[in-house]
Amino acid sequence: MTRLGDIVRGVRGSDRGAYWFILPYVIFFCAFVAYPLLFSLVLVFNRWNIVTPMEWIGLKNFDRLIGDALFYRSLLNTLTFLVIHIPLQVVVALALALLLNTGVRGRGLFRALYFLPVVVSGVAVTILWQQMYSFDEGILNSILHATGLPSVPWLVDPRVAMSSIAIMATWKNVGIYIVLFLVGLQNIPRELYEAASLDGARPFTQFRYVTLPMLNPTIVVIVVLSTIGGFSLFIEPYVLTGGGPMQSTLSGMLYIYNQAFSFGHMGYAATLGFVYALVILGVVVLQRRVIESEIPT
Amino acid sequence: MDVKPGVSRHLLAAFCALVLCAGCARQDGSGPAGTPGIVLTYWPAPNPQEILLADTLVALWNRLHPGIRVDMQPIPVSISTEEVLLAAIAGKTTPDVCSNIWPGALHDYTQAGGLVRLDDFPDFDSLMSLRTPRELLDRFRVGDGHFYEVPWKSNPVMMFCNMRLLREAGVDRVPATYGEYLAAGEKVAAHRYAGAAEAVWMGDRDVRPIWWQRLFDFYPFYIAASGGRTLFTAGSPSFGDSAAAEVFAFFRECYGRKYFPRTFFQGGDPFLLGKKATHFSGPWEVASIRKFAPQMEFAVGPVPVPDDHRGPVYTYGDYKNISIFSTTKHPKEAWEFVKFLVTAEHDLLLLGICDQIPVRGDLLENPLFAPYFRGNPAMAEFARQAVYTRGMDDAPDLKEIFDGIAQEYEACAVYGRVTPARAIGDAMGRTALIVEWNR
Repeated sequence: MTRLGDIVRGVRGSDRGAYWFILPYVIFFCAFVAYPLLFSLVLVFNRWNIVTPMEWIGLKNFDRLIGDALFYRSLLNTLTFLVIHIPLQVVVALALALLLNTGVRGRGLFRALYFLPVVVSGVAVTILWQQMYSFDEGILNSILHATGLPSVPWLVDPRVAMSSIAIMATWKNVGIYIVLFLVGLQNIPRELYEAASLDGARPFTQFRYVTLPMLNPTIVVIVVLSTIGGFSLFIEPYVLTGGGPMQSTLSGMLYIYNQAFSFGHMGYAATLGFVYALVILGVVVLQRRVIESEIPT
Repeated sequence: MDVKPGVSRHLLAAFCALVLCAGCARQDGSGPAGTPGIVLTYWPAPNPQEILLADTLVALWNRLHPGIRVDMQPIPVSISTEEVLLAAIAGKTTPDVCSNIWPGALHDYTQAGGLVRLDDFPDFDSLMSLRTPRELLDRFRVGDGHFYEVPWKSNPVMMFCNMRLLREAGVDRVPATYGEYLAAGEKVAAHRYAGAAEAVWMGDRDVRPIWWQRLFDFYPFYIAASGGRTLFTAGSPSFGDSAAAEVFAFFRECYGRKYFPRTFFQGGDPFLLGKKATHFSGPWEVASIRKFAPQMEFAVGPVPVPDDHRGPVYTYGDYKNISIFSTTKHPKEAWEFVKFLVTAEHDLLLLGICDQIPVRGDLLENPLFAPYFRGNPAMAEFARQAVYTRGMDDAPDLKEIFDGIAQEYEACAVYGRVTPARAIGDAMGRTALIVEWNR
């Protein structure tokens, strides 16, 4: 009670004009974050298809989730995507950032080109890749065919489809991570490289023992952002594969979308959403611990 | 220009008042002489042909009924009409009348109390008995024993054949059974591998596990193979039979023998582009052929059936019907407008403008329609088939059930990973779970 009283007194004693400045965000937060979050928490315990009244069903949605093979499949698919996508994203972004951090000519142009896919509509990019991945008429298979290699069933083989989506997602998002790595690289003091050089460290050794540890905070941020982004994988499987072949690209978000908006199971979709939020939290905490312990700082 | 602060305030106030008045204006409209009138809103499907038809009919109605104005607005474009209508029911922004009601979604609409019961109108029975055969009409009666839709048009799913491609491969007639279809597929494939000028497939289907894609392969084939059964019998799922397994086995052969590609084509309809010999579609395809492939020599036949099939060949009717939403303030006037939409003359317009089949029992006998069918013999095939069609069960969760079937179709037919019997068993198992979960 005393703490609450302190807060109220603090508010009264401060410049009230400032509260008008934060009011728009508070309204936005209440309308688009807090209210939907609370509403979806209510949905977890209800059955609701938007048009009929809500029906309280207690923990039945969780009961269904535990016995739902497609939930486990979508979770496994999402984790598979992350396992392919995150290392690919980090390696490609870091490699390109290292190149752009040298005195290569026209690097401003390259930075813009790499960033371009980030600002292009996700659906447009996905349709473009759908054309490129086409088995019979796609440019990728045409190139393979021209070089005497067999065509790859990019989107129609259950063993290949998720990798194809991961490649596309990496291409789409790599620009933003290049920028983050460039910021990290430019913040590494030159003296560290000079000292390492005087100690006889070769470029790879410098990279291993100077660059990587100094980039550790950036890597953590990129891995966490990629993980959260990866868990929201939706547009790519929705447009490219519809979750197939053989459910191999049915991501968690696509499954939630199907349950909510195709089948009208808002309560079950909300339950899936909360469970996914917990999974994301667990994975991110685990990642932080692993990365911080693996790369010596 | 200097404007006094007081004047600008007055101008601003006047402008705001004008905007508010415009925003608050009642939608009841007025008659031609400024007398108060009734305004109905009408949502047709958002494709160009149906918008043209709706424009024509609404203009005619408004000329004949100056006191009841109809405003036409195509259904807002979205992934599906059903999602738009469900959102509109939730937001209470439904139109008075809509002519794109898919019977598969009727259960949701009626559960939400979103539709007007049409058999409460005293002339419903007399109107329907003139237009639709009783046996067919009864299939649109929902669980509570009432009617909430006027069966308007049917698009029977049939098989289109590119006869030039079939003849070049050595096939001279439309395949009618699985055996004939697979034999034709063998010849088309042999022709392709023998170095035909362009790669031609016997057929293809979108291999993605999208629930509504199964309305153009598994579902019409199941209705055909089972002699007209749908997924449910007496309210329980009943498709786990040998007919369903035969359908899966047939498509499994088509993919396994490479008569169908395990991919999806980009850059246009492969049938119109002459890349496949057969295509399962509705009557709207006739207009597409006329427009985009006018030189194509094509024939239309029922979807293939098992070799030992006897009796008429049924198919999926892909009905789109007319309903009145319960948000209407003028149900009697809306019913009058519905009756206006389904007169014989306007059914002829539906045929002529949209190339879709009105749900009438007299299409091939009524002299009014004879000139149309003489000029469009392919459409006469659809009119003959329309009598042997089935729609959707009055059951909840149909989309989710079809999604389960789509997953098994993909596993069994497209990729050959499970046997037809197991795939159908798994689809039935999934359906039982869905029914149990959502009970």
